[in-house]
Order: sequence, then structure tokens, then C-alpha cells
Amino acid sequence: MSLNSQTTSSRAIPATRRVILSDAAQLPHDYSSTPGGTLFSTTPGGTRIIYDRKFLLDCRSSPLAHTPPSCLPDIPGVTSPPKNNKTHPRERVSCSSSIPPVDKATGEDAQFEMDI
Amino acid sequence: MNNKFDALKDDDSGDHDQDNGSPKDGEKERNEDEEKDQNTTKKKAVVPGAGEHPLQYNYTFWYSRRTPGRPASTQSYEQNIKQIGSFASVEQFWRFYSHMIRPGDLTGHSDFHLFKEGIKPMWEDDANKSGGKWIIRLRKGLASRCWENLILAMLGEQFMVGEEICGAVVSVRFQEDIISIWNKTASDQATTARIRDTLRRVLNLPPNTIMEYKTHTDSIKAWEDFHGLVNASGGR
Repeated sequence: MSLNSQTTSSRAIPATRRVILSDAAQLPHDYSSTPGGTLFSTTPGGTRIIYDRKFLLDCRSSPLAHTPPSCLPDIPGVTSPPKNNKTHPRERVSCSSSIPPVDKATGEDAQFEMDI
Repeated sequence: MNNKFDALKDDDSGDHDQDNGSPKDGEKERNEDEEKDQNTTKKKAVVPGAGEHPLQYNYTFWYSRRTPGRPASTQSYEQNIKQIGSFASVEQFWRFYSHMIRPGDLTGHSDFHLFKEGIKPMWEDDANKSGGKWIIRLRKGLASRCWENLILAMLGEQFMVGEEICGAVVSVRFQEDIISIWNKTASDQATTARIRDTLRRVLNLPPNTIMEYKTHTDSIKAWEDFHGLVNASGGR
């Protein structure tokens, strides 16, 4: 994209915004962000769905993220129930669909009631 | 998409075995049967639910554990590996992750694998066979945090290497834990360098941390040398 050409029909880059950093520590932690915010149109390998760590961690608190997955196999000591021991993973093993959002979870645990 | 597991099975049969000169057809068949059972409930493609944040790729969690008391060489790796499930969105990922024990609390000789859906966490998979992995050995106590940082970076497409990433593994061992990230093309130095740099950044590793790149061809050779060429494509 050329800034000084008057002949092309492309539009100028909108308002320049400068972000002054006084220390390297203020640099974002990931390649996909620029100081002051995320700004990118394409990335190497094409347009991709990019999330930084903080965003992903924030999603964890969404009610959508709490429903136990359907079809979770019971592997003792590995797919343990969360926080308390009220739920029994074994009950969840049999199911016909792997599309998780639909949840027919065992209902006993308060944490899951709000999803239903 | 319905038959993605059939596609996987095809990968394992016929020419694939010949490629590896693997002399254990009987065992292979048994594995396929087991796998069929394991996967009968998972034929449908996983898709992001309403209001969820889609990921660039679907991923599958796997778990493997070496059965105590049996030497590794008599066990098929594929026999010991179990699918935990696949997901297509950030929220679906958390559902699995929150219902799985953290790697630092695993016991014995076990591994979690998180691979793109359709890629088996095996050297011999088509996506892996020309690939390799970065390996980082961790002292005990660091695995859970490092694993979480590693997989969040992978799911969030922080590596910026196009289609190159295949998956990630955390291996719990006796005196140390190991995390690794696998990519498709071991000979692509620009890619492997970029993965290394991203790893340093996302894992927040101390500067003296040793990172080692190992091609799967070397891993296979080392494994075969060690086990006297028995049971080639199987164990680790």
C-alpha cells in the first residue's frame, strides 16, 4: 500500500496513533498484539483465529465453559470430576452425540445447574 | 466429516505399514477393533456451539499411560493411548480441561497429548512422519503451568507458523516432566526457529533452559536401536 501515490484509488491509512513505551516490559506478550491494542489484518499463513492467553483464560469463567463434556470417558485419576466429588463421571460415559453444548449433565452439582 | 475416523484407520492400514516395515499385522488389527469401539460414539463432527468462540482448528485430547510391570517393548503404543475427546471452540476446550486432572498431579509414566483433530499423536501419522518436536525438560513442579501456557498458545494460534503445528505433549516421568510441541516439517528451519522463539516467550522460561529439537525419524531410529527393531511402529 502506497501512501504517497495520488493516482491509486486506495484510501489513506486512517488516523495515526502513537503509543509511547518507556520500557520493554510494556510490550505485549504475544506477536498478535501491538502496543495499545491488537491490530492486524492478515497473519503469516493467512487470516487466522487468534486468541491471547488472557482472553482464553477469561473465557473459562463463561457458563458455556462449565458444562461437563458429553462422552467424557471415565479414566480413573485422569478425568476426575471438578472441585467436589458429587458427580460420577461414569454416568456420563454413554451418550449418542459428541456435540458438547447440549448438556444432559447429571444435575447434582450446583455449578452446572445454571447451564440448564 | 462423518467418517474422519475411518480415514484414520485407512492411514494405518496397507501402505502405511509397508512404509514402516512394521511386522505386526495381527496386533494392528486388534488395535483397529479397539479403536472402533472407542470411537463409535464419536462419529459426528464437533462444531462450536452458539455463542462460543471458534478455534482455528478442532483438537483432540489423548491420554496414555504405560502399564506398570510390562516392558515397553512388548506394548503397543497405540494400545495404550486413549482419546478423551475433541473440541472446536474455546469454551468446549475448557469443559474438557476443567474435567481433567492437571499433569503435575498425574502418577506413573503417563502423557497428555493435544493434537489437531485427525492427527494421531504418533510419529507414523502422515502429518508427523516428516516432522519433529521441540522438547523442554522441566524439573518437577512446573509441568501444570507450562502445559497450560503451551496449549493456550497453540489453541490461540500464537505460533504463527501457518499449518505447521501438529500438537503438543506433556510427559510425566520419574524425576522430571517433559513438554514438547510437534510440527510437520522438521527440515523447515524458519518454522522451527519461530516455534522455539514463541515457546520461550509463552512459557516464560528461564534463560538457561535447554531446548532440544528432535526429528521423528531420529526418534524412531533411537527407539528401534534400543528395542532391537522389534515391534517397530508400536511402543515408546
